Amino acid sequence: MITLTHFLVVSACIFCIGLYTVLSKKNAIMILVGIELMINASILNFVAFGKYDKVSYGGQIFALFAIVLAAAAVAVGLALVLNVYRHYKTINPDQINELKDK
Amino acid sequence: MNQLAHISPIYTALLTVAAPLVAFLYQALVGKRDQSGIISLLGIVCSFIFAALTWLTIWNHPVVSAQLTWFTIGASTFKVGILLNNLSVLMLLLVPTVALPVHIYSRAYMKGDPGVHRYWMYLSLFCFAMLGLVIMDSLLLMYIFWELVGFASYLLIGFWFTRETAVQANKKAFLVNRIGDLGFLIGLAIIFTQFKTLNLVDLFGEAGLIYQSAVTNGQWVSPVNSMDQIWLTIAGLAFFLAAMAKSAQFPLHVWLPDAMEGPTSVSSLIHAATMVAAGVFLLATVFPLFNESTLLFIATIGTITAASAAYFALGQYDIKRILAFSTISQLGFMMVGIGIGTWDAALFHLVTHAFFKCLLFLSAGAIIHEMTHFKVHSQLDFDPQDLRNMGGLRKYMPKTFMLMSIASLALAGFPLTSGYLSKDSIVISAYEWAQSKGDFYLLIPIILVIVSILTAFYIGRLIFKAFFGDFRIMDQVRDKLLDAPLHEASKTMLIPMFLLGLCCLFPVFSLNPFSYHDSWLMDGLLLDEYTFAPSHNAHVIIPLLLLIGSAVSWIIGWKWYVQQKYPLNANSLSLKAAFNQAYINELYQWIFVDGALKLARFCYWFDRYVVDSLVAFIQFIVLSLSRLSVWMDKHIVDGFVNAVASVTYWTGNQVRLVQNGKLQTALYSVFLFVLLGLIYLIFF
Repeated sequence: MITLTHFLVVSACIFCIGLYTVLSKKNAIMILVGIELMINASILNFVAFGKYDKVSYGGQIFALFAIVLAAAAVAVGLALVLNVYRHYKTINPDQINELKDK
Repeated sequence: MNQLAHISPIYTALLTVAAPLVAFLYQALVGKRDQSGIISLLGIVCSFIFAALTWLTIWNHPVVSAQLTWFTIGASTFKVGILLNNLSVLMLLLVPTVALPVHIYSRAYMKGDPGVHRYWMYLSLFCFAMLGLVIMDSLLLMYIFWELVGFASYLLIGFWFTRETAVQANKKAFLVNRIGDLGFLIGLAIIFTQFKTLNLVDLFGEAGLIYQSAVTNGQWVSPVNSMDQIWLTIAGLAFFLAAMAKSAQFPLHVWLPDAMEGPTSVSSLIHAATMVAAGVFLLATVFPLFNESTLLFIATIGTITAASAAYFALGQYDIKRILAFSTISQLGFMMVGIGIGTWDAALFHLVTHAFFKCLLFLSAGAIIHEMTHFKVHSQLDFDPQDLRNMGGLRKYMPKTFMLMSIASLALAGFPLTSGYLSKDSIVISAYEWAQSKGDFYLLIPIILVIVSILTAFYIGRLIFKAFFGDFRIMDQVRDKLLDAPLHEASKTMLIPMFLLGLCCLFPVFSLNPFSYHDSWLMDGLLLDEYTFAPSHNAHVIIPLLLLIGSAVSWIIGWKWYVQQKYPLNANSLSLKAAFNQAYINELYQWIFVDGALKLARFCYWFDRYVVDSLVAFIQFIVLSLSRLSVWMDKHIVDGFVNAVASVTYWTGNQVRLVQNGKLQTALYSVFLFVLLGLIYLIFF
């Protein structure tokens, strides 16, 4: 039988893969993908915990909102990547180091 | 002249003392610019005139004294003043009378010496100190002048301070005199405790405190204090110790022969009227203080001194050393005179001795002067003071020979000389004293008679060896023969010697050449009573004995030294002992000097190893402690601070890496801190 724990483990795995991708990939698109994976891990959690709210389906509803938000965020993210590319002629985050204080 | 005589004797006495002081100050201020010594000479001439005036006024007249308050300590007031009685004016006259010829003589003798200005300065100081000593009326003041005499003699003995021997000699004289000074100081302290005054008039004047005090029930009681009677003896012995050092009595006589290192004219002054006379004068002054046992001790020491010094004189070759030992021997006679209670006889001998001994030294000085000239002239190397180099000088220096013979006859106590009177006065008194005491005491006059004959022998030896026979050193210069190798001394030297020669004859002291009782000097000092009965036989037998003994000794001396029939082995033990002064100096060297050196070495060792080790040990401990604290400071205190600093630094450095402006690093750190927060929340 598939229990809540199985969901949570899968979710944690996806989150970790996402996190790893965010921290290590040298391409901004891949970072966005990582973010997407982390969001999806959390959405999976929402859905999994949603079994405790079978009356109003709070978990499922929230997951839908989160998916919409994630899509919006990806759109923003892609826009950012596009602009970064225009500005730096690269989307390698290692070469974009102007966040630091000068 | 009449008017002069009316000047108060106080002032003339003060002027007598002041004249050499002024000369001293003048010479001290002018220094090298005045080498003539004319001021010193003038000073002593003034001194002599004023002393003569004082003497004329005071001698056989009532005692005069004057005082001023000096200072007050508690209830005791110390006064400064002068006391003029027969004793002090006699000494007051004697000092310049002897010093005057010495000054005149010195003008020739010291001529050309590069340090002669110092010589005149010291000589004036010496005369001033001695004159001051004799007229002071307080033991404290006497003590001051006593020290001054010692200091001036120190300067004069070491006059040729570039000579090592002279420096040694004056050091020795000074050190030995310090021992005596200690005695004087102890005596002063006892007297002051007992009588609460140091004034001579109060103490020894008519019905003075000394006469009011007595020994009862083992206590020495004075009008103001009382103490155990032993202190009376100790006080007497303390003063005698002072006199022993100054007047060169056995065991403290060692400085006097060495004091020959000074100029001969100084020796003559030291040996005649100043310095050595001070001890006898002191004893005569404090005479009423002495009790039976002290007096016996004084007489015994005097006898030992007279005998030992006469023995040492026999073995000496240095002309001045013979005279030095004869001085010690004669001082022994004076001490016996004091010890048997006839200090007038002692003073009489002191005065006559002053003249003939001064003359002997001046004659010896003339000889040495000429010998030194000869040495320089002939370019030979020999000791100009050694008798063995002399001989036959009679032919070259007839006047010196004549004068020295007169002085020698006086020293030997030959009739018609002053020495006959004074020496007999002591020997005869000693005999009478011994008779009244008992058989055992006869040892003292017997020894004195033997010493007198020995005296005649050694002074005869000196005369024979120096003036008779052939001039021994001539053999060596036969090839470059000089017409007259030696000359008579200059007039400047001969005149004072001639004056002193006159004073060696009997008329100066007594019109009757055979009886010292007729001497004006003895009359003036005459004690109220002798403690013993006079013996008329002694007055005939003893002088006869002395005369025959002296004559025999001279005949022997003539045979031995002039006719070259010397029977004794010069290297025999007894003669060697005499030459080396019975090894007393070596003994002192061994006991005191080496002892002191050993003690010093031990102290050095103790200091070096015990004290220094202790210090080093403490130093080691402190050093270790400080090293420990340095280590603690460096490694623990600093280490803690450094550790905090380096942790902070490291953390900062690590955290700094986050701020490299890269997106992923920032994200990484965010994640890390979230993770840390989670771990904290879960586990704590």
